Parts: sequence; C-alpha cells; structure tokens
Amino acid sequence: MKLIKRTYTYTAKWMIPVIIIGSVFCFYMIEYISYEETDEFLTYEMQRLIDYHEAHNDLPEFHQVANILPDVRFEKPMFKDTLMLEPGDNEMVPYRELYFTISHNGNDQTLVLRHLLIGRDDIAEGTLLIILGLMFLITVFLYIMVNSIAGKIWNPFYQTLDKLVKFKISGPLPEFPATAIDEFQSLNTTLDTLLKKIADDYRHNKEFGENASHELQTHLAIIRANTEKLLNSPDTSLELEELQKIYTASTKLSQVQKSLTLLSKINNREYSNPVKVDFRKTVEQAFEIFTEAITIREISVDKHLRACTLTMDAGLAEILVNNLVKNAVKHNIQNGTIRIILSPVELTIENSGLPFNGNADMLLERFAKGKSGNIGIGLAIVKQICELYNFRISYTVSEQAEHKISIFFPQK
Amino acid sequence: MKLLIVEDNLKLLDAITETLVAEKFLCETSANYPDAHEKIVMYNYDIMVIDINLPGGSGLDLIQEIKLQNPATGIIVISARNSLDNKLEGFDLGADDYLTKPFDMAELVARIKSLIRRRNFAGTSIVSFGDISIDTTRREVTANSQKIDLTKSEYDILLFFFSNPGRVLTRESIAEHIWGDNMDLADSFDFIYSHMKNLRKKITSTGCDDPIKAVYGVGYKFELA
Repeated sequence: MKLIKRTYTYTAKWMIPVIIIGSVFCFYMIEYISYEETDEFLTYEMQRLIDYHEAHNDLPEFHQVANILPDVRFEKPMFKDTLMLEPGDNEMVPYRELYFTISHNGNDQTLVLRHLLIGRDDIAEGTLLIILGLMFLITVFLYIMVNSIAGKIWNPFYQTLDKLVKFKISGPLPEFPATAIDEFQSLNTTLDTLLKKIADDYRHNKEFGENASHELQTHLAIIRANTEKLLNSPDTSLELEELQKIYTASTKLSQVQKSLTLLSKINNREYSNPVKVDFRKTVEQAFEIFTEAITIREISVDKHLRACTLTMDAGLAEILVNNLVKNAVKHNIQNGTIRIILSPVELTIENSGLPFNGNADMLLERFAKGKSGNIGIGLAIVKQICELYNFRISYTVSEQAEHKISIFFPQK
Repeated sequence: MKLLIVEDNLKLLDAITETLVAEKFLCETSANYPDAHEKIVMYNYDIMVIDINLPGGSGLDLIQEIKLQNPATGIIVISARNSLDNKLEGFDLGADDYLTKPFDMAELVARIKSLIRRRNFAGTSIVSFGDISIDTTRREVTANSQKIDLTKSEYDILLFFFSNPGRVLTRESIAEHIWGDNMDLADSFDFIYSHMKNLRKKITSTGCDDPIKAVYGVGYKFELA
C-alpha cells in the first residue's frame, strides 16, 4: 500500500473517536446552552415581575406568566422541565417552567413562567449537521494538507527510492539529492556508504575473477601446449600414460574454471542484454549440435514445440537450452528416449537414464556426485540462470528411471 | 605464408611459435602492444594471431589498426577472457576467428589452415592426403577416387586430421573441435570412439588403407602407412 494511502487510512481511523466524542460533546453543549439561555431569560422575567409588583402591587400588562397558583409557596424560585401537547402538530413539546412566589396583599401567590425549550431531536439534528459540515471541511483540508505535506516532505524519499530502484550494480553509483530533513539525509548517507561498499566488492570480485581466470587459463595453455609437444615427441621411451593424465587434468581444470567463471558471471549479472529470444529456435539449434550423438546412441526424440518467446540474454538462453539437451543426451542409455515439451508456460525435458535414489533436486547443485563420480556443473549453471530470471525449476526421477527437468516461466 | 603472433606470455608465445614453425609457417612474434603496433605498420602479414590482454594496450585496438593497414590480413584472436562481449567485439572489428585459452596447438593449426583456405591464399580449395582428398568449398570427400558420404562430425574430424597430419590428436582435442564448449569432454569419448569407427569404416570400404592410428589411451594420429 502506498505511503500516502496508508496515511489517509490511519488518519481516517483516528477520525472515528473524534467524531463520536465530538458529537456527544456537541450535543450536550447545545443542550446546556439552551437551558442556560432559557433559564436566564426566565430569571430576568421573574426579576422584572417582582420589581414591577413591588412598585405597583400589580403585574405588568405584558408578561409571560402562564399560570398562577394561589396559596402555594416556594421558598426559593424553582425550575422545572415539562412536556406539553402542541395542538398544532399534535406532539409533546418540552417546556421550561419557573415557579416563584410573591406575596400579594398578604397572600402567597406562586407564579409560573413558561418558555419553550429546544427539543432533543432538534439538538441531535443540529449536532449532526454541525459534525457533518465539520467533517466535510476537515476531510477536504486534510486531503489537501496530506497531499501537499506528503509531496513536500516525502519528496526526497521518493527521489532516493526511484534512484535505488533504477540502480544497477554494473552501472554508476546513484547520486542522492541533498535534503534538509535529517532522517532522509542520514538515509542517503547510509545508502551512499553501503552502495559504495557493494560496488567496490562487486568490482573487486569481478577483477579477481577476471585476473584469476586470465592467469590460470594462460598457464594451463602452457601446460597443455607442452604436454601436447611431449605426446608428439618421437622419443618412445616417454611414459605416454602419465603424460595423458597431466593433459587430461589440465583440460578438466580449464573446463571447470570456465564453468565456475560463467557461474560467477551469471551470479554477478554480467549478462544483462535482454532481447526477445525465440525459444523454439534455440531448442532446435541445441538438438542440431547433438544430432549425431543422438543417432549413435539410437535415442528416439519426441518433440512437442510450441512458439515461446522470452525476454532474456540470448547467450544465456543458448547456454540454458544446450546444457539441458546435453544433459539429456549425456546421461541417456543406448536405445533411450528424449521427450521435450515447450510451451509459453514451461520447458520440460524428459529422458531415460539410470535409476537414481535420493533427492533429485540435489543434482542441480554444483559438483553433485552421481553414480559415476562427479557429474559436473552444467545443471548448476541451468539452475543459476533460472534463478536469475525467476524461472522455477524442478528435477524428478521416476521409478522407471525417467529423468524429468521442468522449467516454468513466470507469467505476467 | 607470413604470420605475426602477439602474445604477452613468453612461454606460451614460444610454444605457439615452435608449433607453427614446425608447420613451415614464417613466424614473427611480439610480446607487447607497442612492438606489435610497430610491426603492423611496417610489415605486411597474411595471418595474425592476437591476444586481447596485452601490456600497453588492447588487442582489439590492434585489430582496428590491421584493418586500416592491410585489410586482407586474416585475424585469429586468442584470449583468456571467455566473455561473449569480447568475442562479439572482436568479430565486429573484423576478427576471423576466436579461440579461448587454453587451446590445443592442433586446434590453432587447424583454425589457421582453415582461414588460409577460406582466404584462398593457396588458390585451391582441395586438400589431399594420400588417396584421400577433401574439397573444402563443396564439403566433398573422395577416397580412392570414390566419393564418400560423411556426417558433419566425421567431416570435421577428417579435416582436423588433414590440418594436423602426423600429430597425435587427443580425444579431448577432437571433442573440443567438434562440440566446442557444448560437451563435457570425459563424457564425449564414447561418441568420439563411434565417430572414429564409422569414419575408418567409410574410408577403408573404398579400398583405401586406414590412415587413422589409435594411440592407446591418448587419442588418434593420421598418417600414411
């Protein structure tokens, strides 16, 4: 969820108690004020009547006296709420009454002043209107406020984020804009240090790989060239077998080194030239390389290829498919079978082979040990490429010794 | 045929030169960029073998320079860098072939001879050895005056032998020649064995003597009986 949306949600949640407490408060406040004002009005009227009575021993011509109760005495003026039927709309309406006693010609006369009160339903209605109006205003202002504040305050954050998202390890380091907000400044500085360290490590790692590879391969080339020379020497007293061992070991070593370099390069994302790759064509080409090997082993091939285009590095696509086909040919048996299915969703290659007990997924690891010793690194490269492109890969071996590798392409 | 070999590792340079001199090529050598650059400007070469990583500069720049000086020169790049980019860049600049270190001398010789054939320096595309001859443009093989049909790998192996007569070709070397990086060598020996068997059968069926000799535990050798 977006930061700003989150801000709205949280703000909205906090508005709920504000609305409830505000409504209750508003309601009682209006009610209180309404009583206050009515009581005040009645008290003034009472005072006027008492004053007038004292001066003229009579009631003024215009007064609010609703009732006179003779021979009833209240020590102190008394307020009272009452409901009376309003004949107009035939409903009970609240009134406020003030009872007070004056002494008229020696007799106690209790006067009753009466004034209409604001009904609770009217107060509730008013409260609702006020709160709604207020809410509307608050919402409008909050929206504008959050938007403008988020825009201003979070702007450096979004810029940093944007640069981070676009950052590629092989590319130049991003430059984060300076900001006056301490936290973001600290974030940027920390990221700067971190990225610099990562980029340095990456570069060192790459350089080390390149140097190691260069030195190793050059010297292996010397070993190979000289062994080859000895193998061709007319001096038959030479121990050919030992020479062959040196030669084989150096060949093997250089192959392993090449594979490891490739793995580390894939891991380092050094192959990042994505193009649209026609996988059907790649598969057909891979089979072409191994046609003769397939014929020699008399392997029957069953191809179900549908069009499938993926965006990835062309070289890696080739390595991926070649390794899979090679694996299927290499670990096959005489008169065996290969079945390959390609669709926009998956690439599955199934081949007959030797029975395998244990976790077939282990065969995808580097230098996994098979029955015949080291089974190499080809599938580890396949796995690494799959990981790079978020392809899911599975390796299963059935009881009939059918080896099956499936790669599922992510669907957009 | 005049060759210039540019390689900074002197031991490897020696090994290459020795092999190529034995093949009757006229070889000049250079171990660094300035020296190689000077030679390119001053002399003409038919073929150049160039390492990319050189003290004092990049072999890629040398390729550009040769293309300027003498575009007819055939160029073979040898590099320890296996990166695809380098390979592509090399080809873009006009390199004719690319070999990654370490490579067999037999392979280098085969590539040079193949380049010579493609450039048609010798004026013919037919190579012969004993009773067997190969027309490299039409990819046709004749033995004892009879045409024989070879599969792609068999043809490649035979041509590889033709480039290196009398030299022991190891099984690894043959496997690399056919499959490049696409096959784990140890696993390919069965296939090599089958190819050899078929190739011998096809040649001897014409009445030709079997020119392929097995060198026990090592590989094969092509020579006339």
